Amino acid sequence: MIKVQGLYHSYTHDHVYAVKNANFEIAPGEIFGFLGPSGAGKSTTQGVMTGLLPLQQGVVQVAGYDMRLRQRELFNKIGVSFEQSNVYSKLTALENLEFYGKLFDVPTLDPMQLLHLVGLDGVAKNKAGTFSKGMKHRLTFIRSMLNNPAIWFLDEPTTGLDPAISRKIIEIVKDKNAEGATVFLTTHNMQVADELCHRVAFIIDGEIKLIDSPRNLKLQFGEKIVVVDHRVDDTTKREQFSLVKPDDMARLQTLLQTGKIEMMHTKEATLEEIFIQVTGRGLL
Amino acid sequence: MQKLWTTFVKDARLSYQGIYFYMEVGMAIIFVLVMLFAVPENFDRTQTFYALVEIEALKGELSELIADGGDHQVKFFDSRPALEQALAANRSAAGIHVHLQGQRPVLELVLQGHESESMKALLRSTLEGAMASQLPGYVDRTTVVTLETAPARLSDRVNLLPIYLVINVAFMGLFIIAAYVFLDKEEGVIKAFAVAPVQVWHYLVSKIIIMALMAVVVSTIVVISLVGFRINYPLLILAILAFNVFGSVLGLLITSFFDSMTKAMGALFFSVFVLMFGGFSYFMPWFSPAWIRLLPSYPMIFSFRELLLEQGDVAYVLQNIGLFIALSILLFIYTNYRFKKTLTV
Repeated sequence: MIKVQGLYHSYTHDHVYAVKNANFEIAPGEIFGFLGPSGAGKSTTQGVMTGLLPLQQGVVQVAGYDMRLRQRELFNKIGVSFEQSNVYSKLTALENLEFYGKLFDVPTLDPMQLLHLVGLDGVAKNKAGTFSKGMKHRLTFIRSMLNNPAIWFLDEPTTGLDPAISRKIIEIVKDKNAEGATVFLTTHNMQVADELCHRVAFIIDGEIKLIDSPRNLKLQFGEKIVVVDHRVDDTTKREQFSLVKPDDMARLQTLLQTGKIEMMHTKEATLEEIFIQVTGRGLL
Repeated sequence: MQKLWTTFVKDARLSYQGIYFYMEVGMAIIFVLVMLFAVPENFDRTQTFYALVEIEALKGELSELIADGGDHQVKFFDSRPALEQALAANRSAAGIHVHLQGQRPVLELVLQGHESESMKALLRSTLEGAMASQLPGYVDRTTVVTLETAPARLSDRVNLLPIYLVINVAFMGLFIIAAYVFLDKEEGVIKAFAVAPVQVWHYLVSKIIIMALMAVVVSTIVVISLVGFRINYPLLILAILAFNVFGSVLGLLITSFFDSMTKAMGALFFSVFVLMFGGFSYFMPWFSPAWIRLLPSYPMIFSFRELLLEQGDVAYVLQNIGLFIALSILLFIYTNYRFKKTLTV
């Protein structure tokens, strides 16, 4: 569905690259997470894949279209939701969607249904300029769904949204994916990536460091840990034990036999911890 | 075409709700009001002479001589201080002091000091000629021949209209269309448009149509208010369209080299400034070097002038309309190419 080979991009048209030798393929129906801190090259890669930036070097194919040729028909098949909300502030929410809907050559979804999906149907006839940041973000998000895209590019789809709305957005992405949509998700929110993505790529300083499924990454890099709360001299003490280190395993066994256990649970490494472990860098 | 129409309707809605449309209308209203109520149909060109004539017999004769020279009037004073005081009070007046030196009359021209050398010489020779004509045996053998037998003239009020039309039609459009594009860039909507299955030229042409409609409506109302219905309006509208499209395309081209209004302001201002040099030749016909005649504003201003004249040169106007249509097409092809490369970069 998407093929990227030897992609390089330089904003200064020299050897200072924002993206260096990016290679990956995304299968139909896959949710692919592109994870990295700000300035890592996520948006640049997405920019080239969506035709917003010119393809300077490498091969990029999206839905069978060569991005070097920048054919406009491609945009009937893809949807792009931007990190920064970009709607006409002087038009109403409904007018914004109706305008974009008319630009497609394929059947489009009902704007009112889309507005209802993200709880904006009550303000459909209000100008977008009067909306809060979160409302504008939701409007930008549903606009990218208008043409029922086969490939959906989502740039930080839950950023700045309250937990309830974020949950709603995540469920919408899951539903669309279940219907067959391929999703390219750009984010630095590891919880969202962990929940949604079939595979993730870690990108830092323009280079992809690793591509794998969250499960494989946890198995490969994550250390299984057991957290135990137990009573010691009338106080509760919390201790962590590694399930791979022999010393920890022996201590845990002793505690289980002799200690007064109050609570015990296993803890997996998060994607964020793995990211830090792999790249040596945090996400912000 | 359906996508162009959709884009145009959206742009029309945004323009109608934006400040620039009302700025344009407001400027037009102010211009019409100033022209109708503050600017006279024709400026007063009467030259006032203040005279101190110490030879009583010459007073009547001098009045007649000055009146014969055209739209002149003369007022007499009794003393030199009174003459100079009156001249100080009216800075456009010229003074004449006639007195006796021995037995011979002497004529002294008393000027303000701001007159040019040519004006001084003209006044001096006018008076000398008038005096000489009184000598016995004087015969005037001077004949005046003009290359243009019946030069057409606009009233002073309408004479200002071609300048307004060029500013409003061509160069305001240049600024406003740039502002529209940068507003789209600022709001980020240009990126959303770039990932829709539409062509870049839809985006550009839609904005050009908006500007053209605005120019036609506003300019036609201004011309009707000041000139009435005596001119060829279909041709005027055609000229407004051709010149406005040229200005808009030029504005778009300049815009394609910048990513914000602040950065583009210098280039936009400089372009308008240079292009307006054509106005110098309009008000100073003796100053029209080839490089000025090559600037777009020159044929635009003179085309509007011809359109406003009762017997204007239609062929000249049509020739310029054709020229600007051709130039606009060429410029648009390059602008479209530039926008394809830079729309979201």
